[in-house]
Amino acid sequence: MSNRRRGPHETQRSRRNQFLARYRDLGHPLTGDEQMGRSLRVNTLKTSDDVLIDKMRTLGADLAKVDFLTHGYWIGKTSFSLGASFEYLLGHYSLQEAASQFAVEALNPSHEDLVLDMCAAPGGKTAQIAAYMENRGRLMALDINRRRLYALENTLERCGVENCAAYRGDARDMDFKGLTFDKVLLDVPCSGNYAADSDWFMKRRLVDVTNNAEYQRSLIDAAIRLLKSGGELLYSTCSLEPEENELNIQWLLETHDVKLEIVEGPGSPGLTDVFGETLSPDISKTMRLWPDEAGTQGFYVARVVKR
Amino acid sequence: MRLLRKFLSWVGSTYDPMEEQVLKLNNKRFLLQPELAELVLQKDKLVYAGKLMGRDRKFFQPSSIILSELAKEENTRKVHLGRDAGWLFVCGKDIFEDNIHGVDGELVLDGYYLVMFEGECLGYGQFIESGDIRVIKNLFDIGDFLRRER
Repeated sequence: MSNRRRGPHETQRSRRNQFLARYRDLGHPLTGDEQMGRSLRVNTLKTSDDVLIDKMRTLGADLAKVDFLTHGYWIGKTSFSLGASFEYLLGHYSLQEAASQFAVEALNPSHEDLVLDMCAAPGGKTAQIAAYMENRGRLMALDINRRRLYALENTLERCGVENCAAYRGDARDMDFKGLTFDKVLLDVPCSGNYAADSDWFMKRRLVDVTNNAEYQRSLIDAAIRLLKSGGELLYSTCSLEPEENELNIQWLLETHDVKLEIVEGPGSPGLTDVFGETLSPDISKTMRLWPDEAGTQGFYVARVVKR
Repeated sequence: MRLLRKFLSWVGSTYDPMEEQVLKLNNKRFLLQPELAELVLQKDKLVYAGKLMGRDRKFFQPSSIILSELAKEENTRKVHLGRDAGWLFVCGKDIFEDNIHGVDGELVLDGYYLVMFEGECLGYGQFIESGDIRVIKNLFDIGDFLRRER
């Protein structure tokens, strides 16, 4: 490259090629133009699948069941805005990406569990956890961003959640007064992916990925500390970058007394060979959702049990 | 609790929340089940806990959770709207008397009513007269979710 400054288009093309080359090296040739399908989740705290879907179809929404989700539906053509309907305002459904719904399905919380949602805002997964718990038992939600917590409060109210205590706080330094949890959802802040953001290639650099990975490890460390022995951590990202996914889980296996449980679902096994580095074969128990395979955004899910 | 109790009596509710279970966070009122109380660790950082009853403002602003419970009470005063008037109401508009499809009980001037659509509560308002026009004046509606997120 010469010394002349790059224009925005050139920068975007260069980054796009760089990231696509990485995905190709990981055995997955993507075009960079894949897009995720839109989806919704039926809120079983307020209604049932049959009642809502029948009503929505009558109103002119074309919905099809997502085969790997219990209460998730792909959104086809609609004759009205799904984000501004009576049913939405009444909390009968949430607009929630399918892969994001899958993370809570994999965690499978129940009302007998004490559950922590560590990076909870804007609250879509928190409300989904509450629905799994049938609004009973105890759920704690944390986030450090006050603005995003307003969105979480709205989501909890709209969805009728009654079993949650939500805090503005950072799990790494918050005083839990000795509480430990049966299940922790750690859907970490991450680099995201291009299928969910058309400007993604323009925004992201590899250095962001490595910085995020370091931050994520500090959150993983806190999550393991907060788990009971035998408790389960569900780690998820909406990133395709192995530094934020398999390499973080490899680090976790090397530094903590944990084991992985298999994630069953629509994606591919986690990578065990990353840019020439061989990882633990157990990492194939984790799951990757590539945007060209599942019709979702890029996503990664790992189930970790504390010994 | 004063504004909450006033609101409940306005709409004819017999609901009586146990005061010792009501948690106050700024202007918000929550009903906290004993099981959840052990998760109240640091009140200064707590933003939400249990069942949101509503917010103290000029008028009590009930949560949609409480509205849906009050809608199930037989004794609460209700007016019923069709789809078009219902949508105007959630857009923050007042509703002309002519657009009210039905009333549970009697429509009394200056009375407060839950505003219903297809068995669901969209908010509440007061039946008032202004000149020769009589309307349900919108005091709160669930379209507030969209307005808050702007």
